[in-house]
Amino acid sequence: MASIVAYIEVREGAITAASLFAIGESRRIAQAAGATVYGLLALGPLSHVQIDHFAEQVSAAGADRILCSSDESLAGPVLDITHGPILAQITDHLRPVLLFFPAGGVGSELGPPLAVRIGAAYVPTASVEIHSLDSGQASSPQRIFVTRWRSARDTIRRIDLGDLERPVVAVLAAGDKSDFAGESYAEVEMIPYPTPKRPAERVLRSEVDSAAEVELCGTLVCVPAGTDAAELGTLRAALPHGVCVRTEDACDLGRASPQRLILLSVDQARLPIRAAVVREVAGTAAELAEALHRSASPDREPST
Amino acid sequence: MIVLVCLEPPQPGRGARAAEILARKLAGVAESVAVCVGGPLDSPSLTWAIDRHSFRRVIHVDDAPLEKTDFMTLGAILAEVARRLGAGVVITGEHSDREGQGLVPAAIAHHLHAPLIARVCELRRSGADPDRLEITTRAGGKLCTLDVATPIVLSTEPASYEEIVPLAATGASAVETLTLPQLGLDADRLVPRPELLGTPVAAPSERPATMTPEEAARFLRPRQ
Repeated sequence: MASIVAYIEVREGAITAASLFAIGESRRIAQAAGATVYGLLALGPLSHVQIDHFAEQVSAAGADRILCSSDESLAGPVLDITHGPILAQITDHLRPVLLFFPAGGVGSELGPPLAVRIGAAYVPTASVEIHSLDSGQASSPQRIFVTRWRSARDTIRRIDLGDLERPVVAVLAAGDKSDFAGESYAEVEMIPYPTPKRPAERVLRSEVDSAAEVELCGTLVCVPAGTDAAELGTLRAALPHGVCVRTEDACDLGRASPQRLILLSVDQARLPIRAAVVREVAGTAAELAEALHRSASPDREPST
Repeated sequence: MIVLVCLEPPQPGRGARAAEILARKLAGVAESVAVCVGGPLDSPSLTWAIDRHSFRRVIHVDDAPLEKTDFMTLGAILAEVARRLGAGVVITGEHSDREGQGLVPAAIAHHLHAPLIARVCELRRSGADPDRLEITTRAGGKLCTLDVATPIVLSTEPASYEEIVPLAATGASAVETLTLPQLGLDADRLVPRPELLGTPVAAPSERPATMTPEEAARFLRPRQ
C-alpha cells in the first residue's frame, strides 16, 4: 500500500495545530485513495511518557503509524543539516508517494533539500482537493489534487497526484485540526538517528520569534490599516483560539499562509497572501467582535 | 571571504533585495559579488546590481540555452560560479517572485556539497576565524543564532526586506560576462526546463463571498 508521511513539528513541548492539520489532510487522502499514514517525530531526547503523549495525539489526528527518531542531534533548531539525514533515511526506506510538511517554516527549511535529494516534485503553500469522478455514486473513484498559488499570486497550479510518476513533497498552508477522530494509539516505530557526516552546528543563542505566531495561523482576519488599537484588541480577545488578526499593512503578513482569510473592508488584491477560502465581511472590527460575543452567549443583547 | 549573491533575471525581486541586505552585513570583512544567470545584458537585475554599489563584481553568465534550463541545472551553474570564485557564502532569495517554488537554493547546495540554511535574517563573522559565521535563522518559533563553517548556502527569510540606500560609488561599474565554456560547462548537456507541474487555473475572483458579522462569527466558531 502507498505511504504518506506527515512531519510533526513540536514547539514548546506541544504539537503544532498545523502539524495535526497535516495529519488530517493525509488521512483525508488515505481514505479517498487508500494509503498508510505515517506521522514522523524527529526530536531531541524524549522519555517513553513523552513519546506516548505525542503518539496519542498524532494517532488520534489520523496517523496509522508513528515513526519516531529521538536523538541529541535533533534537539536544536530544525535544519536540513541535522534533520535532513533522518528524512533521507525514512524516504529511502518507505518510498512515500507524498510527504507533507506543516506550515510554520519547517517545510521551507527541509522541503526543498529533500525534494532535490529524492527527485520529488515540490509544492509549497499547498492545499488538498479531492474530487469525486462520479458524484452520483457513493463509492465512486476520486481524484486527488494538490494546488498551490504561484508566487505572483495571479494563478493557481492544480496538480493531479494520479498523473505523477514521482513522489511529491508539499508544504501545507496552515489549517486547523480536522474533525477526524482516529484511534487513540498507533504503533510507534523508533528510528535510529544515522551517524552524522559532519559535526552539528553550535547554537549560540535562541530567543522567541515574536513574528512566528502568524505562520501557524489557520484562519487570519485582516482589518484595514489604521484600525483603532483598542478596537483591534477587542476583536483579538473575542476571536477563537488559533484565529489571528492583522492590519493589512502588518509587517509580518507576508509570512502567513492561512487556509482561511477573512477580510474586513480590505482589498484582497493589495495583500501579499492568498488563501484557499476567502470571505469578505461587511462590517467593522468592533461589529465582528460584538457578533463573536453574541455567538458565544446567544442570550446576550446587541450593544447599542 | 567572497560572498556570492544570486540574482534572478530579468527583474531584481524581493529575494535579491533581501540577499543584498544580508551580504552587506559582512561589508568590511568580505567582498560581495553578484551573479545573474541568463537574461539580457541590459536586464534590470544587472542594472540594479551596478546601481546598488554593494557588489565588487557583477557577473552575467550568458549563453542562449540558459533561458530554458531547469532548476537543477541553474543550481549547478551557480555552484560552479561559486566554486570558481572561491565563495565562502552563497546567498539567494527564498524563492522567485514568479513561480515561487524555492528549489534553486537547495540545488546550489546539492551541487556545491555545502549545507543550506533557509530563513536567514542576520549574518556576521564569528570571532576572529575568517571561515566561520554567526547566522540567525527563524526556526521552530525561535530566532536561533548558530556558529557555522563555510562554505555554506543561505536563503533569506520571506519578509526580510527593507529599503536601504545604495552605497557610495565603490562597487562594480560594469558587468562582466562569463560563458558556459569559461565555467567548464557544456551547453549541450544542459537539461531543458520541463513543463511546470500542474494545470494553471485562473485565480478565484478578487471579489470573494460577502458575509455579515453574524455569519462570520458562526464561520469562525471552532468545530465541536
